[in-house]
Amino acid sequence: MRSSGIFKTQGRTLFAWGVFAILMGVFLSVHPRGASLGVFTTWSNQCAALALLAVGQTIVVLSKGIDLSIGPIMALANCIASHLVNGSPSEIAFGVVIVIATGAICGLINGLVVVVGKLQAIIATLAAGAIFTGLALLVRPIPGGDISVGLSDAMTMEAFGVVPSAVLVMLGAVALWYPIRRHPIGRSIIAVGSSEAAAEASGLNVARAKIAAYALGGVFAALGGLFIGFQTLSGDPSIGLTYTLNSIAAVVIGGTMLTGGAGSVVGSIAGALVLRTIGSLIFFIGLQPLAQPLFEGTVLLIAVSFGATRLLKIKNRMEVFQ
Amino acid sequence: MTAMGTLLKRTSAAVLGVGLSLNTVSAETYMPNCYIPAEGNEKIIQYDAKEGPYRVALVNGHTGIPWREQMIQSVRAWADRPENKETIGELRVVSTGPDVAAQIAAVDNFIQAGYDAIAFIAVNPTAFDAVVRRANRTGTVLVSFDNPVDNDSILRITPNWVDFETIKAKSVLEQMSETSGRVLEIRGIQGNSTDRDRHIGVEQVLSEYPDVEVIEVVGNWDTGTVQRVTADAFAVHGQFDGIICQHGCRGVTNAMAAADHPAVPVGGDAENGYVKAMAGNQIPGISVSVSPGMGPLAVRAAVALLQGESFPSMANLPIPNVETADMVAGTHYYPDEPDTFETVTGYAACGEDMVFTPDELRTQTHASDS
Repeated sequence: MRSSGIFKTQGRTLFAWGVFAILMGVFLSVHPRGASLGVFTTWSNQCAALALLAVGQTIVVLSKGIDLSIGPIMALANCIASHLVNGSPSEIAFGVVIVIATGAICGLINGLVVVVGKLQAIIATLAAGAIFTGLALLVRPIPGGDISVGLSDAMTMEAFGVVPSAVLVMLGAVALWYPIRRHPIGRSIIAVGSSEAAAEASGLNVARAKIAAYALGGVFAALGGLFIGFQTLSGDPSIGLTYTLNSIAAVVIGGTMLTGGAGSVVGSIAGALVLRTIGSLIFFIGLQPLAQPLFEGTVLLIAVSFGATRLLKIKNRMEVFQ
Repeated sequence: MTAMGTLLKRTSAAVLGVGLSLNTVSAETYMPNCYIPAEGNEKIIQYDAKEGPYRVALVNGHTGIPWREQMIQSVRAWADRPENKETIGELRVVSTGPDVAAQIAAVDNFIQAGYDAIAFIAVNPTAFDAVVRRANRTGTVLVSFDNPVDNDSILRITPNWVDFETIKAKSVLEQMSETSGRVLEIRGIQGNSTDRDRHIGVEQVLSEYPDVEVIEVVGNWDTGTVQRVTADAFAVHGQFDGIICQHGCRGVTNAMAAADHPAVPVGGDAENGYVKAMAGNQIPGISVSVSPGMGPLAVRAAVALLQGESFPSMANLPIPNVETADMVAGTHYYPDEPDTFETVTGYAACGEDMVFTPDELRTQTHASDS
């Protein structure tokens, strides 16, 4: 059971990357310019923020939670960035630290409400999301502000003239997560998501693991908000609207089980790339971009249904809990 | 990191210099009576001339607004005319909704797909600096209109909103029977720079009328809201001697009819319903228009830029307006068109070919690509 489970998880990740590879092939053949560095840069810029959010959402989902406030956290971080991430290098560095800390605090609040308040994650994070949106509107009632042009160029153009910086950002997100995953905190997040009772019985600190998962989710959401800032050079309190659902869709497409405990951030990044590449495909085929939510919703529903087929095969209910 | 940033900034500035030349010599720009250089504008936008036919894109943001739909229809109608078909090889129209990231992605996609020019109404005018720099790197012509972006390295087209509301307020106050009394000012969405500028225009006129008392209400440019706040103002303050409304002014004429308010001078927009009510009920006043014909003007400017013409970085448009006494059916209002139809279909001062008949617009049934 255990070994086949691990194989299954990696199979799902590979499947997501396979789907992405096919879509990318179609996209490049449809694109009037074909494969070129400029096309890859534009494409990866459109992917990066969602990929960062998908990583954050994955960590929360791995702990058997869900974060419906991830879009609002991103918007709040984006609005704060538009006030602080500009000026001298030290001011910019200070701004970036504050933005990331904001994400961590928002995530921490989510975690505390879920763990200490014992509220269901769906309700708790939905309500918290409304609060974060309200804060974002207070911070920046109408879109505007300033974000360092130099830093924006460095993050949204090509590094060393050969690799889109946004690709490095996504690789960086993976590089950031894997040491945490190997750390006892990361291991207990997955253990708690896999079986809370077993984790508790093994002496793991369940509460700490869950809170840490939400806080990490908040940090990645803030990084996503920062990246959107690099794209738009401004703050916008309504920027997060579509991102919550899309981050969950990316997680599901990437093969992470919404029931927790199994999955990978690498798969979720593939999920984010799949969604964004579909978006670009819709654009170049000549369909209205407004049709995109319809496609995203359909893809999400299909992906969730595929995930649920496992339940149909189960003969004994107890298998689910093993 | 900063060293790298500065380096990148320098490189992009150098690349920018090749593709387009910006200078501050105030030479004669293209059609200065139509694309009026804005006050204080010193920057000239000009690109190297290119051979046609051109691939042009129009990127709209918000959808479901009659003005925007008519704007898109006008652009299509204009591009469809035989004399323009030769220069515009391809026209793509997309509406991306209220999501600024989606709009930026659309503009980026068009830049990468090698389109020659992109005209757009920004959802968020502060978010396009990076896009503008990417367009300048590839030599793509960007034209921002209606909601001009905060970046003077591309052509931006918009009415001068201070002058716009000044014309309106002046006409209302001059048509009032006395130079004293009470005026209702119905404002737009708060925090928006257009509302701010229009309010300044009203204030400038009113500063010459010290005996006029002003009551301000917020109508959000929406007919329903305008009607409600106007009715409320009638209920609280009784009668007014003049009404100055930014947009959604059919709400004013509706509220006046419902409350049997005397026919005092009203200044408002150019939607068919409002103009029809003004002319039909003989309400003195004025209709001042920001026409959806701004869309074709932006596309024509984009084509002229591709042909090597020069423009001011900020171009203001003429301000079509008509007082009630001069309103003629079939010219200033259309009994058979819907109330939301914009009666000024284009800017006649910019050339006869910039005006459209309702029939011509109606043939462009698909407002957006499908």
